[in-house]
Amino acid sequence: MSAHAHPKTGIWSWITTVDHKRIGIMYAVSALAFLVIAGIDALLMRTQLAMPNNGIISAETYNGLVTMHGTSMIFLFIMPLSAGFFNYFTPLMIGAPDVAFPRLNALSFWIFLFGGLLLNSSYLIGQMPNVGWFAYANLTLKQYSPTISVDFWVWGIQILGLASLIAAINFFTTILNMRAPGMTLLKMPIFIWTTLVTQVLLILALPVITVACVMLTFDRAFGTGFFDPGAGGYVLMWEHLFWVFGHPEVYILILPAMGIVSEILATFSRKPLFGYTVMVYSSCAIGFLGFAVWAHHMFTVGMGPWANALFSAATMLIAIPTGVKIFNWISTLWGGKIRFTTAAMYAISFVAMFTFGGLSGIMHSSPAIDTQHHDTYFVVAHFHYVLYGGAVMALFGGIYYWFPKVTGKLMNETLGKIQFWLYMVGFNLTFFPMHFLGLQGMPRRIYTYAPDQGWNLWNVVCTMGAYLTALGALLFAINVIWSLWKGEVAGNDPWDARTLEWTLPSPPLEHNFDVIPTVTHLDEWWHRKYSEDGKRKQLPPAPKVDVSKIHLPNPSYWPIVLAFGILLLGTGFFLPSFGNMVAIGTSVTGFLIVLGSTFAWSFEKP
Amino acid sequence: MMRKSGIATLCSMRRAASAALGMSAWLISAVAWAQKSFDEMPYRIDGGFNSPMTTISGLTEWSRDINHVYLITTVIVTGIFFAVAIPLIYTLYRFRAKEGDDTPPSQVHGNVVLEFLWTVIPVVLLIFIAVPTWKYIFKHEGTPVRKDAVKVHVIGHQWWWEFQYPDYGIKTAFELHLPENTPVELTITSADVSHAFWIPKFGGKTSAINGNINRLAFTTPVAAQPEVTGGDYYQGQCAELCGSSHALMRHVGVVHTKEGFERWVKAHNAPPKVETASQREGEQNFAKCVACHVISGTPSADIPGDKIGPNLSNFGSRSHLAAGTRKNTDENLAIWLRNPAELKPGALMPNLGLTDQEIASLSAYLRQSTYKTY
Repeated sequence: MSAHAHPKTGIWSWITTVDHKRIGIMYAVSALAFLVIAGIDALLMRTQLAMPNNGIISAETYNGLVTMHGTSMIFLFIMPLSAGFFNYFTPLMIGAPDVAFPRLNALSFWIFLFGGLLLNSSYLIGQMPNVGWFAYANLTLKQYSPTISVDFWVWGIQILGLASLIAAINFFTTILNMRAPGMTLLKMPIFIWTTLVTQVLLILALPVITVACVMLTFDRAFGTGFFDPGAGGYVLMWEHLFWVFGHPEVYILILPAMGIVSEILATFSRKPLFGYTVMVYSSCAIGFLGFAVWAHHMFTVGMGPWANALFSAATMLIAIPTGVKIFNWISTLWGGKIRFTTAAMYAISFVAMFTFGGLSGIMHSSPAIDTQHHDTYFVVAHFHYVLYGGAVMALFGGIYYWFPKVTGKLMNETLGKIQFWLYMVGFNLTFFPMHFLGLQGMPRRIYTYAPDQGWNLWNVVCTMGAYLTALGALLFAINVIWSLWKGEVAGNDPWDARTLEWTLPSPPLEHNFDVIPTVTHLDEWWHRKYSEDGKRKQLPPAPKVDVSKIHLPNPSYWPIVLAFGILLLGTGFFLPSFGNMVAIGTSVTGFLIVLGSTFAWSFEKP
Repeated sequence: MMRKSGIATLCSMRRAASAALGMSAWLISAVAWAQKSFDEMPYRIDGGFNSPMTTISGLTEWSRDINHVYLITTVIVTGIFFAVAIPLIYTLYRFRAKEGDDTPPSQVHGNVVLEFLWTVIPVVLLIFIAVPTWKYIFKHEGTPVRKDAVKVHVIGHQWWWEFQYPDYGIKTAFELHLPENTPVELTITSADVSHAFWIPKFGGKTSAINGNINRLAFTTPVAAQPEVTGGDYYQGQCAELCGSSHALMRHVGVVHTKEGFERWVKAHNAPPKVETASQREGEQNFAKCVACHVISGTPSADIPGDKIGPNLSNFGSRSHLAAGTRKNTDENLAIWLRNPAELKPGALMPNLGLTDQEIASLSAYLRQSTYKTY
């Protein structure tokens, strides 16, 4: 099918789209919607903890909020928002017309959306999973969690994992096979490198949690007893399986953020990324070492001195490539001409906050310290500094940076800067005092505490900070709406940036590039604009191309049908409480839909 | 505004490299000095963190060794923090874009010496953290059992801790009584889901896992107030999400003088002294409790099988009830007996539908007739 021949607007065009840009937008919008829910979870928790012996939220509900906040922020916000950036910008930055498997791309989005909706539907029937985002055995067994709340978590994760796995294979293939001529691996933008490493981590880590969730499903649905010590099972096996996935997952969250920050800092200091090659190697090193440190989440389970010593050493090693990155970011700014746009401010705050979180991470790499800090608010402070001060701030920076490319409008800088400072102050007010609470021995995941523990003051401060952050989020929503409506027109290259996506109109046309570019440099677009001595070059006139001849993949509704089949297939597993026939019927129907739509899909025209 | 030449940038790079080298030399010597002086320092640092569960004012050798590593690490990471923050802030200030200056800066791609430096310096700093860490690990994990150690089986339940003293035939809950300045060996496990045993002033956490036994050996602190006969109370709390009332699963370590501990052991299993009419009535009503609870020296102790509720011998002497969530008073016991789930959501103890009269008599029996001094 040629370009521009199918409907461009209307819901149906979005449902059947296989355009990586539209899919990227849908990923980002869904992620931000889920952020609202997960953020409200956090506000409710902070409200409950503002005072000792507070009775606003019950114990069960609080445990549900803890679980849903963690699960949603990771699987429904940071991962899909990163996926939104992968989707929209990978083809644009490597000079490709689309991803390698456009329909598979649509499939992974729909599976993700259905998985997210499944997980969130637990709120509606009052069955929030309440065993923590890590869902430690054996609390998750039928014996201790008889309701279907845990099934929501298991199948939510299972379905979301499938979505990420499909997407990972797609992007891995895209990056390795679809780069523009001349773009060798070491001429790829750094964001593409961190994306590539992230996909490798996803491909290697997700099968582990998939297997663990299958075992847990079997324990719950068929009484197999993998994690039931009474049946000869082994509780700690879950912890190992979970963290073999769960620690690489941390790098799955942070690596895309590092890539975004690298692009933003280079653009706004108007210099190339300092030590690009070293940054590439350290991303790979972080990805590699990320698989060798999972047991540092388990220093208190009694693994013995040798295991603790070795996992502690491996964890300390990760600090080295991470530290290298931080100094390279500072050196990127050094000697530059830094323009303090909102995007740049977010990226700079990433460097500062991530460093801070990394340093408390070094503390926890020592089992001696970790046995005291483990499961206290000190750890809560630590990982919010790396994941919120780090990953989330970088993603917001990415939104401010790329919003003009996606929508054609600039975001309002004044509102943006107010939001940035609300976020910075709110964030630090919420999470810095949590270090004190942790040192004072306040455990995590407690819905209430006694007034005589010395924890009262800092808890109030944390709660105030949380509300300030919520105000910032509100302002962000206002800014997006205002900018879409009245924002300044951006033009192709509002930031004087360095990479190929800025050669295109904002927003780019459906077929991306009229002519696939030929790449000669790292930071190709910069080198086309500027000569080596910093003089602006005359750009050659764009060649006239008949874009109607460009082949684009056909839209298809089979991805959404197939994804729906997968949803039914999974849902059946936790319906036995409505009768076995209902359960089996649902799963079998889902299976038949999956089979049927796969069959129909394969007979579609390319 | 003139564009800075490539040579000048290179010079400033070289300056930055020598500054980084100097700063790290200073940092390393500071760490070496700090490590030496921490060895000689008295360990108690309260610093405004003198709350009941503070993690940084340890009283045992174990927790002091933890603090030792913690202090060294804190000094190092604080140094690194400034080594990042100061250059970052300086860079942001010095290299901010000037109004109207549109020429791009010199396009510097990297510097091998700098990359080498900030790879090697962290390695050196990490060694200063790693060595004390490993020393700690091999000192405190897997230490051989001492023959004279007081042995206690610690068993986590949803949501209370059980303490069994095999050498003394004692089973109790909530309060872990120990003699001062004595090696103890705790064997820690769980009867149901995963919990974590933790008394911050004694040391770190140990997971209580169903089907696993974790060993914890340490020497108890010296009695801080030997003249107080009840012993010193050190608060602890379960540190692994274990279901709805995880937040209410608290416990204490009670450290006695050696004589005090002996008195506690002797008194613990002594039968209750039933004196008043109300206590006698309570003794009768306790028949409703014996399926799940035991009081030593009463017929409930002869009923075979493991009981799912905590052992209630010596209940009157406990400072708190319902796993440390309320003070042990008649009023609080009445609230508990009227509806356990109100104090502890999800509590396994059912609402027995007791009348006010029955509750008053049970309170009289459980609290007064089992009250013991030592």
